[in-house]
Amino acid sequence: MNNLISHSYLILLFPLLSFVINGLFLCFKHRKAAAILSTSLSGLGAIFAIFLVVQFFISGAKPLTAWEFEFLSFSGNLIATIGCLLDSLSAMMVLTVSLIAFVVHIYSIGYMQDDLSSGRFFALLSLFVFSMLGLVIATNIFQTFIFWELVGVSSYLLIGFWYNKPSAVAASKQAFILTRFADSFFLLGIILLSYIAKSFVFSDINSLRLENFAGQMISLGIIEIPTNDALVLSTLLIFIGGWGKSAMFPLHIWLPNAMEGPTPVSSIIHSATMVVAGVYLVARLFPLFAISGNVLEIVMIVGTITMLFAAIIACTQKDIKRILAYSTLSQLGYMMLALGSARLTDGSVHTLGYTAATFHIFTHAFFKCMLFLIAGALIHQVHTNDLEAMGGLRKKMPWTYAASLIACLAIAGIPPFSGFYSKDEILITAYQAGHPIIFACALFTSFLTAFYMFRLFFLAFHGKMRSAPKHPVHESLLMTLPILLLVIPTIFAGFSFKNIFHHFFTPENITAISHNIPDVSFIPPLAICCAVLGIIFSYILYASPKANLAKALDSDNRNTFYKTIYNKFYFDEIYYTFVRQFILGGLASFARFLEEKIIGSLVNFFSTIIHKAGSLVRSAHCGYIPFYIGVMILGVLFWYFASNLPLQGA
Amino acid sequence: MIAIIPDILLLLFPFLMLAFKLFLTQAQTAHKNFAFAYLFILLICQNFVLIGDTQVYFSNWQIDTFGIFMREIFTLSALLALLLSENYFKHSMSEKPKLFHFSEFAASIGFATFGGVVVVSANDLLTLFLGLELATIPMYALVAWNKRDSEGTEAAIKYILMGSVATAFELFGFSYLYGFAGHLTFPEIAQALQTNQASPLIWISVLFIISGIGFKMTLFPFHLWAPDVYEGAPTPVTAILSVTSKSIAIAFLTVLVFGPLNAIHQEIVPFLALLAGITLLAGNLGALSQSKLRRFMAFSSISQAGYILIALLGNSPEGKYAIIYYLFLYTFSNYLAFFIFSTISKDQSETFISLNGLSEKSKFLAIALLIALMSLAGIPPLAGFFGKLQIFTAAAENKHYFLILFAVLNNVLALYYYIQVLKSAWIDKPAKEIALSVSTKQKTIILILTLSVLLLGFLPFLSNNLSIALL
Repeated sequence: MNNLISHSYLILLFPLLSFVINGLFLCFKHRKAAAILSTSLSGLGAIFAIFLVVQFFISGAKPLTAWEFEFLSFSGNLIATIGCLLDSLSAMMVLTVSLIAFVVHIYSIGYMQDDLSSGRFFALLSLFVFSMLGLVIATNIFQTFIFWELVGVSSYLLIGFWYNKPSAVAASKQAFILTRFADSFFLLGIILLSYIAKSFVFSDINSLRLENFAGQMISLGIIEIPTNDALVLSTLLIFIGGWGKSAMFPLHIWLPNAMEGPTPVSSIIHSATMVVAGVYLVARLFPLFAISGNVLEIVMIVGTITMLFAAIIACTQKDIKRILAYSTLSQLGYMMLALGSARLTDGSVHTLGYTAATFHIFTHAFFKCMLFLIAGALIHQVHTNDLEAMGGLRKKMPWTYAASLIACLAIAGIPPFSGFYSKDEILITAYQAGHPIIFACALFTSFLTAFYMFRLFFLAFHGKMRSAPKHPVHESLLMTLPILLLVIPTIFAGFSFKNIFHHFFTPENITAISHNIPDVSFIPPLAICCAVLGIIFSYILYASPKANLAKALDSDNRNTFYKTIYNKFYFDEIYYTFVRQFILGGLASFARFLEEKIIGSLVNFFSTIIHKAGSLVRSAHCGYIPFYIGVMILGVLFWYFASNLPLQGA
Repeated sequence: MIAIIPDILLLLFPFLMLAFKLFLTQAQTAHKNFAFAYLFILLICQNFVLIGDTQVYFSNWQIDTFGIFMREIFTLSALLALLLSENYFKHSMSEKPKLFHFSEFAASIGFATFGGVVVVSANDLLTLFLGLELATIPMYALVAWNKRDSEGTEAAIKYILMGSVATAFELFGFSYLYGFAGHLTFPEIAQALQTNQASPLIWISVLFIISGIGFKMTLFPFHLWAPDVYEGAPTPVTAILSVTSKSIAIAFLTVLVFGPLNAIHQEIVPFLALLAGITLLAGNLGALSQSKLRRFMAFSSISQAGYILIALLGNSPEGKYAIIYYLFLYTFSNYLAFFIFSTISKDQSETFISLNGLSEKSKFLAIALLIALMSLAGIPPLAGFFGKLQIFTAAAENKHYFLILFAVLNNVLALYYYIQVLKSAWIDKPAKEIALSVSTKQKTIILILTLSVLLLGFLPFLSNNLSIALL
């Protein structure tokens, strides 16, 4: 059985093959073949991942490097490698990504069947899966960065997949630029960290100790600062990378706008995999974060703000995909919060937050992917994203209806569905770590989550049809099957995996401190109460026979507070104003002035001179033999004086 | 003894061709195929006589590794020129009338090639001079091969008149060298240079020798003939002028500079550096806005001569290595370009305009052209880049950084005009559609040349036996 681990390169090989073959040969003319190839290779990958991960956990989940080769050697001991690190965290991510990729591939066959460029779509999807898998199995932070950027590129290409749609192009640019902005800090962080640690490898980085650097100074070019501070700074910089990728407040605006991409893309990238890369990065470097002063507190605060902020916006939106996008933001906030709150008020660190966050990555991936697939199915039938135009789809799409009920219950945190267990862990973490305000926020968000999810649920499926669809509504097998497949993990991933996570998911190099743990038995019932309250609220507002839907859906005649929320706190506008006034109007116009007036005129000047010289040279070639022979003789004379030979000494 | 066999075979080649013409008058195609096969086999034979040390035959016929590689270049160039000329004997090209007398044509090329072999085998001034003349005189005839082509005749007259002046320079320089050393053989001249005080005689001699060979190598200001002659001559002859003739000239200079004149290498170097710099600038400036392809290639080859000359600034083994490497890839790239130009010019004139729309008519040719010109411009990872790298490395060893910088800046100019050709082929739309027919044979040759240019750059081990043999 050890064979499986030694063949773990297959994890990357399947999607890479699919990308190369589709991209080079199939994507233009054989889009059906491309779909089948991609899906079957991703199926093989998923099966392989299941076996690999099962074998890995059965054999004790000892971290190991399955394979590794040298990629770039910066100096004798600073070598960037590409490799495959298997530990419980990466194994869990490999499993999640592979499974979700497979399900989304099946779904995409149905969703994209009318799109003439679906060949390109499958090629890009494979590229994305390849990059994401390369990211999660990275053995070192340099490899992480390479695949991190690849993930960014493929996400950019997929968001802008319908490139003749201006809004999609704008959204893809926005996503790329914003994440790149954050990534530049990430790169700075990597440089600084590898400068201090003299290594890229995670195991070296995670075993750094502040005490070892006590009293040392490090030169950052202009200033000298204590190495300890530099280490904390580098951790913070690295976190900013994750900040952008996981779309934490205030770098969140790209994620809702990224919903311009095809829905399967939103499903795999913007819910289940890519956006958790930031959380994954913090989890991967958790021991480093744990020693780095207050960085974990920053993580916690950022997570909490994002969680609450996104949930509030989600309550007012009408675009079905945007609601899900904001809910994703909110759930990512939960995960960050869990990781961040691992630091107790007395400075010691406990590991429950790590467990809770990774557990929530796992469960959230499945139900959020499922919710997006359901949204895609609705959009595919009704041809609009707008909740106002839906309603009453319960009877037309019974399977989808049942599945979405399960998914909504899961995300709302109702037992026995998976979301309950992981969210419960997060709430407990927040409480145990002694952050009552954070705990209250999380609880309140739990109420909001249940409210906005069931608002979506009731508005889409209950009541009457608010607009007549152009085509008859039905469920297609290729799209319903993946949704139903995801029901299984949505139900079982919670209680059956809880113990596995408790057993295997404790970060290395951290000694858990357990002292006077407060009583937490009251939390689960309280959380359930909040969720149920949310569901009841939304029932009263949107589904009860007395509900005034016209008033509830009206977004124009509202007070300023509602409007502010409805317009997402005007963050898009703030960004646009900033970009237009400061960057385009200020920096860019200055650069343009330099380019056009100074550099451009220099270039023109030189090219004019060279062209003048060229015509001078050409005019010598007049075709007149006496002139030619005369030039030859004069040429000898010319070189007699110009050649620097010691002739004059004669 | 074996190393001389290819030379004898090469000497036999023109006589055999003439004999066929006399006695087997009917079998026209057989002549051609025989010539191709003969040269090809000869090329392979030359490949098997790679020798480590210098061997001397008949008291002054010396064969060394450098000579062997140069032989390969000459033979390769002759073979490619004959292959290129095949169509010109079948029918007239739009600008050029049909050529006749293939056997004599091949024999002339054979003689010129043998002249090159004599140059690299010479061990005294007389043999060297004879080799150079043997290589030059057939060229005069080749340029005017078709008597009805008035342009060709005009070109030949220009060529022969100016060539005679250059030969006079050459002989004048040799006579001073003899006057200084009192001997004709290289070892004795070298000895004389080492023992005697360098007198003004020797500098006058160097000035005239370099001026004379500057004509053949198209160095400034002795390059004026090149565009007119390249334009007037039939395309295969233009190709052979730009490759064989130029290679012979650079071999001549290499033999002298690294041979008998090695003792005064340091004093000659500033002169060579100036020559190289001005030549490549002149070639680049001239090529900037040409409209005729052969004229364009003339200027391009003038600037290439400047680049090759830079290698002579280095020391002996590295400089020779760089020269051979560069000449190999120059042969491949140049012939590739000429093959493509001759393919498109069957029904159109050889101008930039005829290239328009090539990328739509034949992707294959357009890509081959891209590779040929990018290689000539020295873009990695094509062979041309590594060739230039070798040359600059050789010069850098003697710290000619300023010249290297100047040459690299000039490359920007070169890139500009090579890209203009590509622009005509890839971007500009044709005014009227003219169908393009490429025979399988031409396609195969173009493919082989393209792969050579690609692989010479991509697979460094192909040139490894070169470096092992020379360095």
